[in-house]
Amino acid sequence: MITIAAVGDVHLDEAMRGQYRERLAGLPDEADALLLAGDLTKHGTVDEGRVVAEEFRDLGVPVIAVLGNHDHHSDAQKEITELMRGEGITVLEGEGTVVDCPGGRLGVAGVKGFGGGFAGKCATEFGERETKDFVRHGREAAEALGEALRGLDADLLVGLTHYAPVKETLTGEPPEIFPFLGNYLLAEALDDSGAALGVHGHAHAGTECGVTAGGVRVRNVALPVLRRPYALYRLDGAGGG
Amino acid sequence: MAEERPQYKVGRLRRALAEDPRTNELGIEVRVRDRDVHLTGEVACEERRRAVVEVARENLPGHEVYDELTVARIDGDTAEERLP
Repeated sequence: MITIAAVGDVHLDEAMRGQYRERLAGLPDEADALLLAGDLTKHGTVDEGRVVAEEFRDLGVPVIAVLGNHDHHSDAQKEITELMRGEGITVLEGEGTVVDCPGGRLGVAGVKGFGGGFAGKCATEFGERETKDFVRHGREAAEALGEALRGLDADLLVGLTHYAPVKETLTGEPPEIFPFLGNYLLAEALDDSGAALGVHGHAHAGTECGVTAGGVRVRNVALPVLRRPYALYRLDGAGGG
Repeated sequence: MAEERPQYKVGRLRRALAEDPRTNELGIEVRVRDRDVHLTGEVACEERRRAVVEVARENLPGHEVYDELTVARIDGDTAEERLP
């Protein structure tokens, strides 16, 4: 068995330094790895990135993260990534990583992802340049997730995103904004790669549990959804979806 | 000049709450009725709650702003879910 701890949307800044970290002391006894599903900062500044790096360093378990839209707000995503990596945190954007756990090899592929909407009610790459750019960014993120997942040699595959792959976990959000909260192509990437679990954040008013059309479990771990410091998911290492 | 319609006040304040660097809050619900502005939704801490109210008062002067916000709790039990 492999146990994953996961949380997203912690939105840390200087005012919150230390408040969240004190809740993470029990992690080494509970989980094999901690996944961070983006929106780790409030405004995406370098200073906030430093708080994130220091809050999540040396926790006694591997920490694997993707960034979210807030982490891009100040165009400092590269600096934030480097600060986190400097503290030993794995930051994924179209890449994968494998963690050797007592219960097997955990493979995690991650992308921020993007909006675009859900099958049958999504935007398409047609019309104005701005629309095509928006839709293409979502498609390319999903393609990168699928490629990274398929490139992993592991007993259990998890797809980590900030944006949602399914709309079930958005339940509670206004349906009018679903196209800005997720993209069904991320779910297709999970289904096509034999992932066992998809983990995302972003939708603060959403719902924790969902499933893709192919049967892959999806969990929205945005902190306001969880109402606990992190979620713990215990999976067997057989993989498959 | 004609009074701004409540629907546009709601839209303008929601944009301000998302874009103002003091708040950058995307999930605050705004209701406007006459001169009353009701704010609902969840923020991470008391400091951010005060910032949301401040930005609302600045954007809608002459209105009574009602703070119906809640501060997120994260002290729940971390019981694990078994996914067979």
